[in-house]
Amino acid sequence: MNFKQAASTLVLSMAVTVFAAQAEGPTDPQIAAIVVTANQVDIDAGKLATSKAQSKEVAAFAERMVVDHEGVNKAASELVTRLQVTPEPNATSQNLQQGGDENLAKLQQLDGHAFDRAYVEHEVAYHEAVLDAIDETLIPSAQNAELKALLVKVRPAFVAHLEHARQLRASLDQVGRLGQE
Amino acid sequence: MRVNVLARAPRALVLACTLAILGAAGTSAPGVTAKEYTIAIEDMRFVPATLTVRRGDRVTWINRDLVPHTATATAKTFDSSSIAPGGTWTYVATEPGTQAYACAFHPTMKGEVSIR
Ligand SMILES: [Cu+2]
Repeated sequence: MNFKQAASTLVLSMAVTVFAAQAEGPTDPQIAAIVVTANQVDIDAGKLATSKAQSKEVAAFAERMVVDHEGVNKAASELVTRLQVTPEPNATSQNLQQGGDENLAKLQQLDGHAFDRAYVEHEVAYHEAVLDAIDETLIPSAQNAELKALLVKVRPAFVAHLEHARQLRASLDQVGRLGQE
Repeated sequence: MRVNVLARAPRALVLACTLAILGAAGTSAPGVTAKEYTIAIEDMRFVPATLTVRRGDRVTWINRDLVPHTATATAKTFDSSSIAPGGTWTYVATEPGTQAYACAFHPTMKGEVSIR
């Protein structure tokens, strides 16, 4: 295992741990905070990448993350307002925020191809982790039917984003190999 | 103002003639009226993913997702540009043949309209 693989495995296992921390399962107000924070950290990373990405495809992907996760958060905010649920910060949402902040700090140090790789690598790990959380924690724990329905509704977007990020990673690997020849 | 009207008149005439010709060509058979079809954009998919229509039929994409999408033909014969959540876009089927299309925002989303 080279350094790059080791680093990405570490990022991934950290992201997964974030969600494993809560054994009891989150309440609806906690789920609301987790959903909003999960979307917000990806919006923040996307905004940074829109301005810093070297590859046109990576910049377009980043712009899409901003637009799509803002769309999801708009729907989530409208729902929790209507249901009069007040998002309640919790260990999972705080870990997500911290992970997002650390990612931004790391990305700010990088430029060019290294930036693109690190951003996309994190996007793959992030969407994998959030999908696991949606399937194993958030959907099973949601009590309110409309909140559960919203989680089911947003799931396919995370699947499509994950696939898109994986495709980008593969094409960046290709560019990296060509660059080394 | 008057100049504007004068300048516009011939163009409007040309447009009307063009539309008349297109209209005639687009009608699949005499006495057969154009049909309306709907393709839902839902859960990051086009539903149905494949559709067969006749020339002159109208195909409307309706976005039922929370995020914007497009319906963009690979051969660039049509392009909806961004369809907002809850929004629609209609294409009058004119180009015969099988048109592969995708969402320009989400490369995993693909569809096909066959125009006979
Ligand atoms: Cu799309």
